[in-house]
Amino acid sequence: MSLLWLRVAVLLYGIAALAVLPAALYNRPRWRHIAVPAALAAAFFHFVSLAETFYAAHRALPVGSHETLSVLALLLAVAFLLLAARYRTVAFGIFLLPIAVLLTLVPAFHAGRETLAYPLAGPAWIFLHVALLLAAYAALLISLLASVLYLIQERSLKSKQTGPSRFRLPPLETIDQIALRSLLLGLPCMTAGLLIGSVVALETTGPAFFADPKVLLSLAMWAAYCLMIFIRQHSGLRGRRAVYLSSFAFVFVLAVWAANQLSAVHRFTAP
Amino acid sequence: VTSNLKPATLLLVGVNHTTAPVDVRERLAISPARLADATRTLAHQPGIREALILSTCNRVEFLVSHDDEQQAPTETLPHFLHDYFAVSPDSLTPHLYEFREREAVRHLFRVASSLDSMVVGEPQILGQVKQSWNVAREVGAIGSSAASASSLDPLLQRAFSVAKRVRSETQIGSSSVSIASVAVDLARKIFGSLSGKTVLIVGAGKMADLAARHLIQQGAKTLLVSNRTELRAQTIADALRTPAITTGVIPFDQLHAESHRADIVITSTGASSSGEPQVFTPHQAREILQRRRNRPMFFIDIAVPRDVDPAVNKVEGCFVYDIDDLQQVAAQNQASRGLEAQAAETIVSREVDRYHQRLGSAPAVEAIKQLQLSAEALRQQELARTAARLSAEPLTPAQQAAVDALTRSLTAKLLHPQLTALRTPPDPAEPD
Repeated sequence: MSLLWLRVAVLLYGIAALAVLPAALYNRPRWRHIAVPAALAAAFFHFVSLAETFYAAHRALPVGSHETLSVLALLLAVAFLLLAARYRTVAFGIFLLPIAVLLTLVPAFHAGRETLAYPLAGPAWIFLHVALLLAAYAALLISLLASVLYLIQERSLKSKQTGPSRFRLPPLETIDQIALRSLLLGLPCMTAGLLIGSVVALETTGPAFFADPKVLLSLAMWAAYCLMIFIRQHSGLRGRRAVYLSSFAFVFVLAVWAANQLSAVHRFTAP
Repeated sequence: VTSNLKPATLLLVGVNHTTAPVDVRERLAISPARLADATRTLAHQPGIREALILSTCNRVEFLVSHDDEQQAPTETLPHFLHDYFAVSPDSLTPHLYEFREREAVRHLFRVASSLDSMVVGEPQILGQVKQSWNVAREVGAIGSSAASASSLDPLLQRAFSVAKRVRSETQIGSSSVSIASVAVDLARKIFGSLSGKTVLIVGAGKMADLAARHLIQQGAKTLLVSNRTELRAQTIADALRTPAITTGVIPFDQLHAESHRADIVITSTGASSSGEPQVFTPHQAREILQRRRNRPMFFIDIAVPRDVDPAVNKVEGCFVYDIDDLQQVAAQNQASRGLEAQAAETIVSREVDRYHQRLGSAPAVEAIKQLQLSAEALRQQELARTAARLSAEPLTPAQQAAVDALTRSLTAKLLHPQLTALRTPPDPAEPD
C-alpha cells in the first residue's frame, strides 16, 4: 500500500513540476493554482507512504539509499511549500519539484529491500541524527538554488532585459534573505545532527569511529558550512561569489554522501 | 403564457480622446459633484428607461436603455446635451460616436476592461465605471436587477466581471508604462518592498522629483537631497517632507562619503555638460558598495549627459538605468500590453456573445417559470379537491406520498413537450 501512495505522490510531484514552469516563467496565476495544491497533495501522500513503510518495518528511520532519498525529497517538497507560502514565490519549484520527482521515482518503482543489519542503540537519537542532517542538506541545497536564482535575476537586471515576458523571479533582497536564512537554519541542524551521531558512535563503536573517511568528511563539511556562513555574514557576499561558495559546500555534501560506500563503520543495512 | 419582460433597447453615445479634442471633451466633462444631477436629468428625458453617465479625463459617455427602438433617444440625447451643457449639436455631432445593442455592450465591456483607454490596461477606468454605476443607482437612474426588470444593472455587473476576467487571465495591467513607475518597478525587483528604504536625489529636476514621489508613495521612508546649491537642496527636501518621511540634506562635497546611506540614487545634475567629471564612477561605486557591505544599490540616472558612468553597472551589486533604459523598458511593457490586449479582445468578444445568448433566453426562462408555477398551482388545487373524495379517513403519509408522486409525474409528462419547445432556441431561418 505504501508503494501505491508513493506512486501517487510521484505523479502529483510530476504534475506540480510541469505546472510550476508557466507559473514561474510567465507568471500565470492559474498554473500556480495547480502547482501548489498538487505539490501539497504529493507531500501528503509521500508522508503517508513513508509513515506506512516505517510502521510496517517497526523502525522510525530510513534504511538504505532509496528510503533516505525519499525522505530528502519530502523535505525539499515541504521547503518548496514553505517558500511559496512565506515569500509568495514558486520559482524554487522549477528546481525543487523535478529533484523531488527524481528522488522518489526510483523508490516508487524499484522498492529497496534493505533492512537493518542489527538493532541500533537509542533509535530516537538515531532518528534525530538522520532527520537533522537531511534537513541541513535540504537547507544547503536551497541556499545553493537561491544563489543561482540571485545570479539569474542580477544578470537580467544588469542586461536591462526586464520586459514582462521574462522569467519572473522574486526580488534580489528576498532571494538573498532566503539563501541566508536557509543557511542559518541548516547550521544548527547540521551541528546537532553531527553531535548526536558522534555521541551515539562513541558509545557504540568507540574512538575508532572518528578515523572513518565518512566521519572525517562530515566534520570537514561542517567546517565548510561554518566558513561559508561566516564569509557571507561578514562581507555580505552575494551574486557570483556566493554561488561559488555554496557550490563548494555542496561538493562536500556530495562527497560525504559518496563516502558511505567507502565507510566501514557507517553502514547499517544487512548485506 | 406570456412574458412580462420586454427587452429594452440600448444606446451608447459619447466622445473620447480619439474622437474629440480636449476643448470638446472639457465642455462635456461632468465633475463628480454634478454627476448625480446630470444622471438624474438624463434619466428623466422622455423615452428613457435607465441612464448612466461616465465622465473621465478622456471620455464622456451616455448609456441609456429605452422602451421603443423607434422612439426618442436619438433625438432626445442631442437635446439633453444642448440643454444641459449649452453645446450646440452641430459642433458636437462630428465628434460623437454611437453604438446600439450588441455594439453598445461590446463598447462598454471594452471600456470597463481598459481596452479603449488612452493607456491600455490602466486600472482606474474600472473604478470610474463603478462610481458612475453607484451614482446612477443612488439617484434611481438604474434599477436593481433583483427588484425590477432593469437591463443596465445586469449589463454593468457583467461588464465588471468581464473586466475582472481580463485582468486575471491576461497580463494587460501587470507592467508599468511610465518612466516613474518603471523606476519603481525596477526598484521593487531589486529590493522587494520599498518600505524603509532610503532615496537620495542628486541635483534637481521635475523627473527626479516625480520619481522620488513615486518611491515615497511605495513606502520609501527617508529622503536625502544633495545639490551644488545647498539652499536649493533644502527647498527640495522641504517640498517633499511629510509627517511620515524623514528628509535630510547632504552637502555636495560630502556626497561620496554619505551615498552609502542610500539604497536608491536618482541623479539629474547633468554635470558633465559643463566639462565636470561624472558624479559617480566605478571606483567610487565600489567604495560605496564596500561601505554598504555589498547590499545592492540602484542608480536612476535621469541626467543628459549622464551623471553615472555606464561602467558602474558592471560593478557587482550596482544597477544603473539611464533615461534611455527606462524608456526602453516602458516601450517593451507597452508592446507587451498590445499583445495582451489581443487576448483581452478575444475574451470580450466571447463575453459579448455569451451575454446576448443569456439575454435571448431570458423571456423563455420567464415563460418556463410561469408555466411551471401555473401547473403546480393547478396540481395543488386538484389534489385538495380530490383528497376528500378518496377516503373518509385522512390519507396515511405513505398514501399521500404516492398520490403526490403520481400527480407530479403526470404534470411533468404533460408539460414536457411545451418545456422542450420553449428551451429550444428559435431557428433563425424560420419566418416569424
